[in-house]
Parts: sequence; C-alpha cells; structure tokens
Amino acid sequence: MGAKHKKANADVVHAKKKTQVINPFETAKPQTARKLNPFDVHVNKKKFEILGRICKHDRGMPGVSRAKAQQRRSQTLGKQFEVKHKTNKFVDNRIGRHLSGDQLTDSVLNARYLADKLSQVRTSSKAEKFNLNDDELLTHRGQTLEEIEQYRDERSDDEDDERLDAEFTAATHFGGDGDAPQDRQAAIEDMITEQKRRKNEIAKEKDEVYDLTERLDANYKELISLVGQTSKEQMREKPPMDSYDRAIKEMTFDRRGTVTDKLIKPEDLAKQEAARLEKLENERLRRMNADGEEETSNVQPKHRSADDLDDSYFVAGLDDEDTTLAYDQDGKLCTHSNFDGESGTNKRDKEVNDSDDDIEEEEKDDSDDSSESDVDNLSDLKESDSDSEQELLPQTPKEKKPQKSNEPASLDTSIPFTIKMPKTYDNFTQLLNKRSVEQQATIVERIMKCNHPKLEGVNRENVIKLYAFLLQYIHELFEDASEDEISEHFQLLSLLVPLMYDLTHLNPERMSNTLLDVIKEKYSTYSKHPKMYPTLDTLVYFKLVSNIYSTSDFRHPLATPTYIFMQDILSHAHVRTRQDISMGILLVTIALEFGQRSKRLLPAVFNYLQGIVHMCIPKQPDEVLEITPPFERNGPFSKLLAIGCSAESKAIEQMPLQATDLVTHTLSLDFKVRVLSATLGLIKDATELVGEHVGATYLATPFLSLLSRLPIESYPAYVNENLNACKNALEQVATRPMKPLAPAEKKPKALRMLEPRFEAVYDDKRRPKMTKEKEERAKLLQKIKREKKGAIREIRRDTVYLQELRIKKQLQSDNERKEKVKRIYQEAAIQQGELNELARANKRKKF
Amino acid sequence: MKRPKLTEQEPDEQKEPAVKRFKVPPELQQKANDFLNAKKLNVKVLNELVELLEKEEGDASGVMHVLEVVFKNLFKRNCMQPELEENGSSPKAATVAKFEELYEKTWVRLLQCLNSGSKEQSGAALRVCMELIAIEARHTKPPLKSWPTRRLESILRTMIESDVTPPVALQHFQQYARCFDVIEESYKLLLTLTPKKFKDTPNAALNYLAIINLLDLGKNMIKTSQRHVEDAQEFDYMSTRKVVNKVWKRVMKAISGIDEKVHRQVLIVLLERIMSHLNDPIMLTDFLMDSLQQFDGPIALLALQGIFTLMQQQNITYPDVYEKLYSMFYPRMFFNKYKARLFYLADIFLTSTHLPENLVAAFVKRLARLALQSPTKDALIMIHFICNLLLRHTGLQRLIRATPAASAVEITDPYDATETDPVKSKAINSSLWEIMLLQKHAIPEIANAARFINSSLPTQEVELGPLLDMKECDIFDAEVKKQVKQFALAYERPNSLALPQNDMVTKYWSIC
Repeated sequence: MGAKHKKANADVVHAKKKTQVINPFETAKPQTARKLNPFDVHVNKKKFEILGRICKHDRGMPGVSRAKAQQRRSQTLGKQFEVKHKTNKFVDNRIGRHLSGDQLTDSVLNARYLADKLSQVRTSSKAEKFNLNDDELLTHRGQTLEEIEQYRDERSDDEDDERLDAEFTAATHFGGDGDAPQDRQAAIEDMITEQKRRKNEIAKEKDEVYDLTERLDANYKELISLVGQTSKEQMREKPPMDSYDRAIKEMTFDRRGTVTDKLIKPEDLAKQEAARLEKLENERLRRMNADGEEETSNVQPKHRSADDLDDSYFVAGLDDEDTTLAYDQDGKLCTHSNFDGESGTNKRDKEVNDSDDDIEEEEKDDSDDSSESDVDNLSDLKESDSDSEQELLPQTPKEKKPQKSNEPASLDTSIPFTIKMPKTYDNFTQLLNKRSVEQQATIVERIMKCNHPKLEGVNRENVIKLYAFLLQYIHELFEDASEDEISEHFQLLSLLVPLMYDLTHLNPERMSNTLLDVIKEKYSTYSKHPKMYPTLDTLVYFKLVSNIYSTSDFRHPLATPTYIFMQDILSHAHVRTRQDISMGILLVTIALEFGQRSKRLLPAVFNYLQGIVHMCIPKQPDEVLEITPPFERNGPFSKLLAIGCSAESKAIEQMPLQATDLVTHTLSLDFKVRVLSATLGLIKDATELVGEHVGATYLATPFLSLLSRLPIESYPAYVNENLNACKNALEQVATRPMKPLAPAEKKPKALRMLEPRFEAVYDDKRRPKMTKEKEERAKLLQKIKREKKGAIREIRRDTVYLQELRIKKQLQSDNERKEKVKRIYQEAAIQQGELNELARANKRKKF
Repeated sequence: MKRPKLTEQEPDEQKEPAVKRFKVPPELQQKANDFLNAKKLNVKVLNELVELLEKEEGDASGVMHVLEVVFKNLFKRNCMQPELEENGSSPKAATVAKFEELYEKTWVRLLQCLNSGSKEQSGAALRVCMELIAIEARHTKPPLKSWPTRRLESILRTMIESDVTPPVALQHFQQYARCFDVIEESYKLLLTLTPKKFKDTPNAALNYLAIINLLDLGKNMIKTSQRHVEDAQEFDYMSTRKVVNKVWKRVMKAISGIDEKVHRQVLIVLLERIMSHLNDPIMLTDFLMDSLQQFDGPIALLALQGIFTLMQQQNITYPDVYEKLYSMFYPRMFFNKYKARLFYLADIFLTSTHLPENLVAAFVKRLARLALQSPTKDALIMIHFICNLLLRHTGLQRLIRATPAASAVEITDPYDATETDPVKSKAINSSLWEIMLLQKHAIPEIANAARFINSSLPTQEVELGPLLDMKECDIFDAEVKKQVKQFALAYERPNSLALPQNDMVTKYWSIC
C-alpha cells in the first residue's frame, strides 16, 4: 500500500513536471476576484462640482473598511486583551534570534530549520514519525524545490519513457497487419526483449550525450580565451573600403587647421592684419569714450514718433557677414563673403576713409611690406620671439620686429651673442659703458632675447629687472646731461623705445607698475617744489608713456596720472630760462601727442602757448598785458623772447627745436625765433585738434589778440607764413557760432499698454481677512480639532470592540456554567433515579 | 614736550631722563649733580656753568638744560631770595645775591639764544625761559609774589626784535600761548611793545603781528583753561578784551603807509584773532574800505571778508560788493594763497536766492571761463560751484536748457567778459559752452564733473568744504590709487622715438 502510494505521488510530481504547458488564461483575472460589489460601495452625493477641489470622500466601502478596522483591532487590541492579566510571555528561542536580516546566512537558516524539524519529530506522535509524505513544501531562497528542479537538467531515472511506442502499439493492440499470428507467449516475450533493447539503446545514447556535454563543458573554459582573442583581432581587421567610404573618411579626417604662415598669400596676410588692427582700433575707441558720453553729443536723434516702441530691427542689407552656404558649378564652397571678398574689403576701406584718416590704409600697406620682408631675414630667435609673444598675450601684434636692415651693430662681432642678465645695476651699466649708441641698443636687445621668458621661467623676473634697469639708465642719461651728450642720448633713447615697447608687452602689469612707481616718485619730488620744472628725465618718461601705452583711453592707469602731472607742471612751474621754455614746449608737444586720437584737451597747454606768445611780444616798460599765470604779466620775465628788428633775426634759417635747447640756460636769438615758429605751429595743431568741440572758441580767441601784437617785421618770412596759417586756423574756430545748449531730445515715453490685467482675488467675504500667521494658526487649530475628533471616535470604537469581546467572553463562560449546571443536575437526577430504584428494589425485597 | 607742571613737581627725579634727551655731556651732568648734592652751595661752580653757557658757540641746549635744573632746585630750596628777617650782610645773603646775579646773566644769554641759534636751540631756550618763569612765579615769597611779567616782556621784546620773520622761537611759543595767563599777560605787555611805525620797521611789525596771531582768545582756549603758572588768577575775559582793544588801537595808529606784506598780515590777524573781540568793529570800516578800494588781489579779498563780517554783525551796507567780488575772479587770483577764502566768500555771497538772475549768471559764466584757465583742482571746485549755483537759482538753468526754438539758431557768445559790471555782461543770454568743452578735458575727474549738465541736475548741492581742503596733489594720488589696473597698451610698435601715427614730437623737435 505504502509503495503504491509513493508511486502515485511520484506520478503526480512527474505529471506536474511534464505538463509545462503555458496556460493562456492563467494570467487572466478570475471573474470573481477583486470585483467591486456594488452593494458594498457607498456613494456620497455631491451637490456641486467644484473645480480644482480634490474630493477624497466621494465614494467609500463601509463594509470593507469596517472589516479592516475590525481586523486591525483584533490584531492589536484583541491580542492585548487576550494577554491582559496574564503573566506569560512569548520568548523567541530560535537559533540566531539576535541576528538581523543580513546576518541571517544560509547556515543559520539551515540550522534553524533542522532544529525546528527535530523538535517537531520529538513532539509528534509515533504515527507521524514515519510519515514521509507530509505536505510540507521545501523552499530554497523563496522558491520551491520543485521549481528549481525544473531548470536543472539532471539525468534521472524518471526520464525513462515507460510507454510503448506507436509502432509497437500499432502492431500489437489492434491485431496487426495480418502477419502470421504468433502465439501469445512468444509475442509477449518478443515485446519484452524489444522493450529492453530499446531501453538500453536510449540509455546508451543518453550516456554518450552526457559524456559529450561534460567534455564540452570542461573544454569551454579553454576555448573562451581563444574566442576573446580572435574577436579583438577581428575588430581591428576591417573589410577593405570602397571608394565612397574612403572619400568620406578622407573628408572627415582631413586636416582643418590653418596652414602655416608661410603659405598665406601676402594679400590674405594684409587682410588679416587689417582685421586685427580694426579690432584693436574698435577696442581703443570703446575705451576712449567715457561711459554714456558719446553719440548723444554729435549724433542728432532721428525723428521718433510717440508710438515708437523702440523695437528697432536690424536692416538686412547692412549685415556684412551674411554668409549663405553656397556652391559654385565646380562644387567648390563659395560663401557670400568669399564671393565678393573684394567688395568686402572695399567696404571696409571705405569705412576707414570715413573715419577721417586714410593713414590706416597706408599703414596697412606698410605692415604688408614689412611683413613680407620679415619672412626672409627673420632669424629663428626672432620668430620664436614673436610666437611666444603671441601665446603670452593675444593682443600683442604678431609681427612687429623693427627691421632695421641697415643695422650694423648686429654684425658687430665685438659684442657676444649671448649675454647673461646682469645681476646688479652696476653690472648693467658696465656692460653699456664705453659703447657706441648702436652697440648699446644691440646689447640691450640681446640681453632681452637671451632672457626671454619663453626660454626659461626665471626670465620672467629677469625681464622685469631689465626694464627697471633701463628706466634707471634713462634717468641717469637725462637727469643732468650736458649739451654735447644730449642728442646722443636721445638717439639711444630712440633705439631703446622699440625694445621697451616689446619688453612691456612681455608682462604689461609688472612693467607698467614699475613705470607708474617711477612717475609717482617723480611727482612726489616735483610736488615739493611745484614752481620748478622737473628734470628732463621726467619728460622722457612721459614720452615713453606716449609711445608704449594707449593714451587715448578715457581713463588709463598710467596715462591719466601723466596727464595730471603735465597739467600741474604747465600751470604751476615758472618759466624763466631757455631750458624752462623748451621743456614746457616739449611737454606741450607730448600732451598734444597724448590727445591726438581722443581729441581731449589740456587747458594748460593753451595757456602755456599763450604765455609763450606773450613772451614774444615786446612791451613798454610799464605796460601790463594780462596773461594767465605762471607767466608774468610785466617785468623782465614777461618779454624773455621778444626780439628787436634786425637783419640778423631775419636771416635765421628755419629749423625745428633742438635737443640742446633742453639743457641750455642762456637765450639766443635763433632760439627765440625757433620757439616762436614752433609755438605757432603748435597753436595751429592744437586748435585744429580741438576745433570740432563745442566751445573751442574760448580756447582760440585769446590767441588772436596776442598774435596781432607780434612784431611781424622782425621775423623771417617762414615765421610770417606760420603766423598767417595759424591765424587762419584760429579765426575759423574763434568765429564759429554755437547753438545754445539744450537737453538732448528725450525718447518719447511709450504709452501704457491697455491689455486687461487679471488679478486673482483670494479673499473670501465670509471669512474675515487675516494675516498670514493668524491664518496659519487658524488652519492648525482646525487640524487639531479634526484630529481630536477622529481620535475620540477611534477610542469610542475601541471601547465598543472591547465591550463586545468582554460580552462574548461573559456569554461563553455563562454557557459553560449552564452546561456544567445542567450536567450536574443530570448526574444528580441519574443518581437520584438510581437511588430511587435501589430504594424501590429494597422495598420490593422487603415485600 | 612735557607739560610744564610735570617738571615742576619732582625736578630731581625727572632730571635723568630729561638730561639724556638733551644730550647733556656726562661731565657737565656730573658737575651739576655735585653742585646740587654738596652741603654748601658753591658759587664758583655755578659761575663756571653760566660762563660755559656764555662761551658756548654751537649747540648750547645741553648747558641750558643743566642750568634750568640747577636754578629750579635753587628756587625750591629758597636760595634765590634773601630772607626778609636777615640783614643783607650775612654770608648767605651774599651768596643769594651772587646767585641772583648769575641768574640774570643766564637770562640775558638765554634771550640771545632765543634769536640767534638754530631751530632746536631757540626752541630749547624758549622752553627753559618759560620753565624758569613758572618756577620763579611759584617760589617767590608772598609780598613780592606776582606773575614774572618782566621776564615775559623780555622774551616778547626779543622775539619782536628778531631779524628773522617769523622768529624761530615763535612756533615753540605756540604751545605756551595756549595758557590763558600767558595770553593775558602778553596782551598787556604788547600794549607797550607796539612798534611806533610799521612802515619803518616791517620786520618788527610782522613779528608783532605773528605773536598776536598766536594769542587766540577763542572759545577753545577758555574751555580748556590751561595755565602756565600754577596759582595765576582766574581768567578775566572782560579786562583782557579791553587790553586787546587798546592794542588794536595802537596797531591802527601805526599802520599808515605800510607795505603789502604787512598789510596782508594785519588783515589776517584782524580777521582771525581780533575782529570778534573788538568793542566797536564799525571803526574798522574805513580801513577795510580803503584796503578794498585801493588794492586788488589778496588784500582786497581779505578786506572783503572783513567787510562781510561787518555786514553781518554791524549791518553796514556796501553798494558795489558784488561788483567787487566779480572783479576778484580773474586768472591770477588762483595763484595766490587765499583762493579757498574767495570760494568760501563767493559761496556765502551767492547763497541768497533773491539775487537777480543776470548777476548770478555773470558769475557762472566767469567761473566757467576761469575753469578753462585754472589748475586742475580749482577747475574741479569751480565746476561744482557752478552746479551748486544752477541748483540754487533755478532760473539759471536756461544757460544749459535753452528752448527748442532758441537752440536751433547758432549764435556767438553774447557774454561780455571784459565788462566790469556783472549785471551788464549779458551773461543770461549766453549758454554754458565752456562746460561742454570741459567735458573734453583730458583729466577724467574734470570731464566727469562737467558732465552734470548732460542729464538732470543732482538733487542736492555738492559740499564745497572738502573740495576746498583738498591739496593740489590729491587728484594725482587718487588717480594713482585707483584699483583697476588694466594697462592698455598701444598696438602699434614705434620704431623709434616717433609714434607710428600722429607724431608731434618729431615734428617740432630734431632730437633723434
């Protein structure tokens, strides 16, 4: 019986395994499941639909929720109630009870399972001890063992197909095909042998397959490495490309970088240079104007209607860089700008012309030429120079080496080609000592090249030192130079200036701060004696500023202090000697140079020029001709430059002011004539510079009365020419009428838009308005109220539940008691009956 | 410098550090110590010391200091005054007499030092003198006790007679001139010391005025009430005031025909120190009027300030005051010392909003013109001043806000700069083109200040006070201190001293 049972059980398992047919309806929901019973649902009717209100209570299932609540209570309150007044306690004695989720490893779980089993065995009755078919389902990691087995392809005996095959059945079951009927015994034996043979075959086959599989599995690991390698190589190896692919590859990987400089055509180079200059010029112009200063003054606003909403648009035609993608017939790319490149440059040129100087263009040509010539005779060093500079500062001009083709010093072999940076200033001066001007410049240039910051990091400090040395050297050259040295010194300075320009570009910040410090120091020395002209080196520093920096800026950390310095000198320092006069004129010249582009003016310049003219006018001894200080209005100093009429003065040749004028103290006749000639030229230049400004007449007018008093007859002819030109320029400016000042026309204010504006009004009339805090508080109070209500309700229900439990218990115990009483009565009645019967029997016996 | 009182209290203990400070030769110091520590005071030693002072050619401050300490101690020990009960024939009296003689000698020598020596020496001499005055006043016996006026007189006289103006010792005298007793006594003494004719002795006059200039009777002095001599009497303002009045009367008598420098000094002293203490300042009207009419430049300016004070306090009227003020605005004015005063005065005079507009307009135009000719700082002040005037007199805004019709027509400036009467200068019909021009000034500070006319005017006036206090170099310093340091470089490389474009220097100079 047991064996059969086992067999049946195994069959069930087997059948389960076999019928692994997927039931298409398995996933479908059963009809009865989770379907809402309409009688369970209670719908709360709403009177109105209110937009935006989320309603949670429109429908509910009172039965379900009540049942849930009941269940919850029975699990919590009910449990508590059960153990009420009971001292028993549940103690977890399982293995590994202190361990938490992660720590419960397989071994622990197994041990626990084993202990559980053992305890079961111990406690169970004898019959169950030997029951192998308990329905307990074993699981491993949440899966039943059955499920796991499905995927394990282990060979097992169960796999044997014990059924007869079709051939056999066909032959035996239905009488066969009319072969000689064998006797039954033979047939059965036949069948049995056949069956056995077949079984053997299958078993053999399976063994073979299994062996093969095993071998394959064993070899697989060795194969894996092979697979990996081949695949990698295959990755590398690509099928040969066809021409199209190749063309595409070529196009994608084609180098798109710029061609090296040498390959650029000269005209392209010129174009680039022009573009670069234009960009720099634009930047300069931006810096030149004070914020919000320009445009309003010289550009009259066009008519604007009151309806103009200022939504101005760009005019399409003006857009120069309209680059449409287009191809010409040969398939070459020709964008718009490429197409009319010529006209583009023309346009740009025109712009330059419009901005009132065509020097730009000439200079572009110049740079052209120089760059062309550069290509050939640039030494390697120089190239690296310019390259590095370009990397250091993007704004640095690319090529701007001075090509002094007639530079004899570079061939001079007496100077070593590499010169170390001198440690101290003394060493530096020793290097330069006793050398000719050109040699000195060459030495400095070579020091600079050998200590280029690009070559070594230390050189960063070295070039700054070199710059400081140069400043100091200039200071010594000019502080008190003698008459014969001065022009040589100026020549040296002229050679040094380009070098200093390059140096400054190496590290603008540090170098400029050095120069600024020098100027600060000079100013502090000057401000101790503001009535005295500073030494010549100060003026030379001013000239350096003018050469190196963009002096046209509205505010420049170096140019502006210099301007202030110059204004102070010109308006305070007494003019008494030839040196003072020439220094003043040099200052005036430098100041004008500063303002060349920005057209800004320094009033002291005009006052100074007036003063010089004033000095040239011969006056009566007691005559007082009013003039702005620091010039004297009378006395000997007021006619320092006046000359008498003589043939000698008439014969003086025209020549510009000399370097020696800056160091000589005595006044000579030719100097007087020279000064006046230069002054007249300067007046003309200065007037033309500021001529376009409103109110320039105030600067020009005072000159006219002074100039009319000049004794024309005592000067040579060219001075008279200058005078006339100057007068013409002045008169033009002085007589120009001006428009009274009026505020610039203001932009009409746009009308206010008349679109309706919606405002969300959130205040409810039924409730008084409250502040935010109050409102929040009210909300909270409301919440508390609601929660309290809910809690009370819960408590009440809990009580009801407990009450029910208690009543149930009471009833139960009552019933028990009744039963007991009944039984007792019953027993008593039986007893009584027996007693009665006994008594009756006794009675009968007695009878 | 130590305050006088401190040195008086413990001369012996104070000696050591003090001596060191004055570089007293150690042997001299030893000598003095021996002299003071000896039981019997040796006249000879003191005599030697005094002689040393007389002979000293170079820096005598060390010897002076030693003598100061010695005499202080002598005064403390009452060795300098004969006891009244004793008869004069006693040996002690002889010593005392000797001491006194030496003391007088020392004084003579000290007064010499006051004038002749270097700065340090005269300073030390003055200090010693004043210390001695203090100690003398303290230790003189009651019947003779008084302020040692005699000594102070000698000091003042020496200073007045000094050849150097201002006297070297004057700046050291300043700290003693804070004490009210010194002031009181000095004024009393100055009454007698007034030079007879300022014209003849300009140096003495200048020194005299400089001393008065130091004696400030202002509120500060009365509040602090320092005294130089300990038990001096309470300060009596009324009596001092009387003396001051008398002193000034003397001065006024002496000033006929003085030269410009003295005149200026007289005016300054009058304005700064005396004016507020005079009983009858109206008496000054003639003097001030004369100064105003006959001079121009600083004297006229100072006189104008005086007259302004009189107008305020005494209700005098001066008909052409605005014309006079107007005439003071000319280029040369900005190169003398008192320009800040001029701006201050002009600011006050033009405060009233009831002035005729054409008058103020003339001032505005003139200021604008001057801003084109003056140094940086003054131009800045004037631009702000113009801005203030435009704010005060709203009618003047037509100078920068012409009607559209008027602004369409080009005109030449109708303002007549040579006209002396501001009302007739037609400035009101002009326009402030000068400010437009100043916007093109190379110095950004000024260009920015001048831009006030472009947009709406500021709502509040600019405070001129801080601007007036500004020093000439402040603009430069402020500019240098600006934090943003972006050194924009020229993008064209010069090949020589000449610029690649727009070169001016090589055009007019053949220097390279």
